[in-house]
Amino acid sequence: MIEAAALTVDMGAGQAVREASFVIAPGDRIGIVGESGCGKTMLGLALMGMVPDAGHVSGSLMIDGIQMVGAGEVTWQRLRARRVAMIFQEPMAALNPIKRVGETVMEPMMVHLGLGRDAARARALELFREVGIPDPEARLRQFPHEISGGQRQRVLIALALACDPGVLIADEPTTALDANVALRVTQLLVGLAARRTMGLVFISHDLAAVARATERVMVMYGGDIVERGATDEVLAQPRHPYTRGLLSARPSSGNMRATGGRRGRLPTIPGSVPPLAELAPGCRFAGRCPVELKVCNGARPPRQGNMICHRAEEGA
Amino acid sequence: MRKLPPNLLIGAVLVALVAGTAALSLVWTPHDHTLLNIRGKFAAPSELHWLGTDQLGRDVFSQLMVAARNSVAVALISVCLGGVIGVALGLVASAMGGVVEDVIMRIADIGFAFPALLLAIMLAAVFGPSLPVAIIAIAFINIPVFARVTRASANQIWTREYVYAARAAGMGRVSISRDHVLPNIAAPIIVQATIEFAIAILAEAALSYLGLGAQPPAPSWGRMLSEAQTLMYLAPQLAIYPGVCIVTAVLGFSLLGDGLRDITDPRLVRQR
Repeated sequence: MIEAAALTVDMGAGQAVREASFVIAPGDRIGIVGESGCGKTMLGLALMGMVPDAGHVSGSLMIDGIQMVGAGEVTWQRLRARRVAMIFQEPMAALNPIKRVGETVMEPMMVHLGLGRDAARARALELFREVGIPDPEARLRQFPHEISGGQRQRVLIALALACDPGVLIADEPTTALDANVALRVTQLLVGLAARRTMGLVFISHDLAAVARATERVMVMYGGDIVERGATDEVLAQPRHPYTRGLLSARPSSGNMRATGGRRGRLPTIPGSVPPLAELAPGCRFAGRCPVELKVCNGARPPRQGNMICHRAEEGA
Repeated sequence: MRKLPPNLLIGAVLVALVAGTAALSLVWTPHDHTLLNIRGKFAAPSELHWLGTDQLGRDVFSQLMVAARNSVAVALISVCLGGVIGVALGLVASAMGGVVEDVIMRIADIGFAFPALLLAIMLAAVFGPSLPVAIIAIAFINIPVFARVTRASANQIWTREYVYAARAAGMGRVSISRDHVLPNIAAPIIVQATIEFAIAILAEAALSYLGLGAQPPAPSWGRMLSEAQTLMYLAPQLAIYPGVCIVTAVLGFSLLGDGLRDITDPRLVRQR
């Protein structure tokens, strides 16, 4: 159970996450979407207590009733893996190249749960089976370069599950995988969350994967959670101009026609996410927003219902 | 198999020669290196004395062999001692970061600025000149060198995703340093150790030359050099032999270190 209230990550140059509030209960599956540089990963790291040294975390973050803002590394170490675990985007880089994958998975169980070598090995085998790794006995002894990307991601999922976490944060778990493998890894994560009544935070910019994996979604832009709601509602009827932009930038037969004859051109959101230091003080999206008002660049937009936008009252 | 660089091969041969001689001297030398024979002093090379005898009639070849053992032992002990402490400090600095890292590295900077010779003279003034004093002085200057190399390499590893994954799996700084960081920075540390070995041999020779290292009758290339200095016009070969030995050993370890760096550093390989 994670309860965040006005959780903010200040990187010195600017706020990578600004006053994020949300609750993740056991079994919840929540998506976080947005472009690169919107603070998705930083939010994930904040939930793990792994924000880089330059970052300052404020606000409130309760994990199973313990206030973790301002907690020391030792306190975090006790919580990581058992309460919250995380898997990373690049399955090749996330495995130590000179260690057998079995060792990598067994390590935290021996260090953290105090299991002996044999017990840890047995449990690693069990986990490999649970995440659908074929021939797990042989896999345990292999090195990362000997196995495929999809299998590596499964190994990392097994590593994250080693100590039965209450919440699993998956940071772009499918981005580096091809579509077929990505689909199966997504299904695996959904299945694991259901079977273990484990919370799942699914960070991605693949909206199709998010639609499949999650029940609720939070759309992030420039560190703000600009829109949130049930995944199917948000994706079917986006209200925030940024969410609309994201959705219309997806290739589909519909938006090909919408571009009006210029075949093969996808609509885009003009510009790109500015660096932290250059984010607009008011609405972070000001400057790129197609329906911008005068007020947008100056004042911070109010949170109205499920979104943060000056145009919320008019229904954007 | 890629062709090995020539500096690695030449270095390996020279190092094997020096190390082999040192090892052999433990079980066999042509003569007892301490045996005096005043009547047979300054003998020319012969079947009996391969490189002749010195001013006291001692067999030069036997002395050089035993001195090789002395050099290698001093270098080995001091580099290992300095290396272990330096690597440990570097790992701690890298793992803790922040103030701890700054303090350790600034202390290392001070140590770096401190000449080994000065330290050896200071220690010798306090404890009297001896081989252990020389070893401690050489080990001491090795600490900041290894601390720097270790910290720089370890800091790179700490930003790798597999370290993040290990942290996310609840591993602490100590176990990550031991299980993930150290094995991945072994190559630069071994390269540095080989190069430091060459420097240590040179330092030992210098200290012994100044009378701060090996004490008579323990033979040392540096001390043989200083004894031969006064006899330079009478018997120049007595200075040349230990000089050649020092050059061989230092060159061997330097080339070996360069060669190891060439094959372990992928950036350098591509340039060739």
